[in-house]
Amino acid sequence: MMAFIPPRLRKPAGIAVAGVLFGAAWLVRGGPLWWISIPALLAAPARAIFLYWGGGQDSDAGALAASQPDERQQLLSLRSRALACNLAVIAAFIGLTAAIAVKAAWWWPFLVIFGIAGLGYLFGLLNYGVTEADTPDDVDTGHQTRSSVNYRPSQNHG
Amino acid sequence: MRNRVREQRTQRGLSQAELAATLGVSRQTVISIESGRYLPSLPLAFAIARFFDLTVDKMFDPDDEEAGA
Repeated sequence: MMAFIPPRLRKPAGIAVAGVLFGAAWLVRGGPLWWISIPALLAAPARAIFLYWGGGQDSDAGALAASQPDERQQLLSLRSRALACNLAVIAAFIGLTAAIAVKAAWWWPFLVIFGIAGLGYLFGLLNYGVTEADTPDDVDTGHQTRSSVNYRPSQNHG
Repeated sequence: MRNRVREQRTQRGLSQAELAATLGVSRQTVISIESGRYLPSLPLAFAIARFFDLTVDKMFDPDDEEAGA
């Protein structure tokens, strides 16, 4: 579906749709806080316009906003999302243990987040090939051949 | 890992933006590669080396730990 949307419009469109849904949820909820839907609905297009403008900037953030990152920018995005996911899992774990300790009724949303993150990680391992058969080509000796190049991955993460 | 991207680029009178456009990457990525902050993928390393008519091991020297050009 995303292929039909020009790259520069993808993130703004996603933000706009998410903002409208969020605003609509407050509207449907009703009650004294229904007015939150108004700033939410106003912020959605504003945020989408800002992202669209950002997508035209000559920067890493601009390339990501325009959904046209190169390999380094994809790596930056991937690492940022991994960090965000790690923090979310830690926060969910803290929330879950705190809710259990104080016998609160709101423990289960933390468990859902924790569970989804765990399942997502396992799905990722399966999806990206951790279970693929990898027969070593040096089965005669049983020793892996090591490169003489002293490669240090940490150099790639400046 | 030292590389010769900046040296080769300036010898040919190219700007970072022009090299980036040729390689299909961003200007920021060319800057990062030149400064040694980013090690390109193998396909990109080959693309860079081929563009400058060099081999990958001539373009990127793993034995020289000094970052940047």
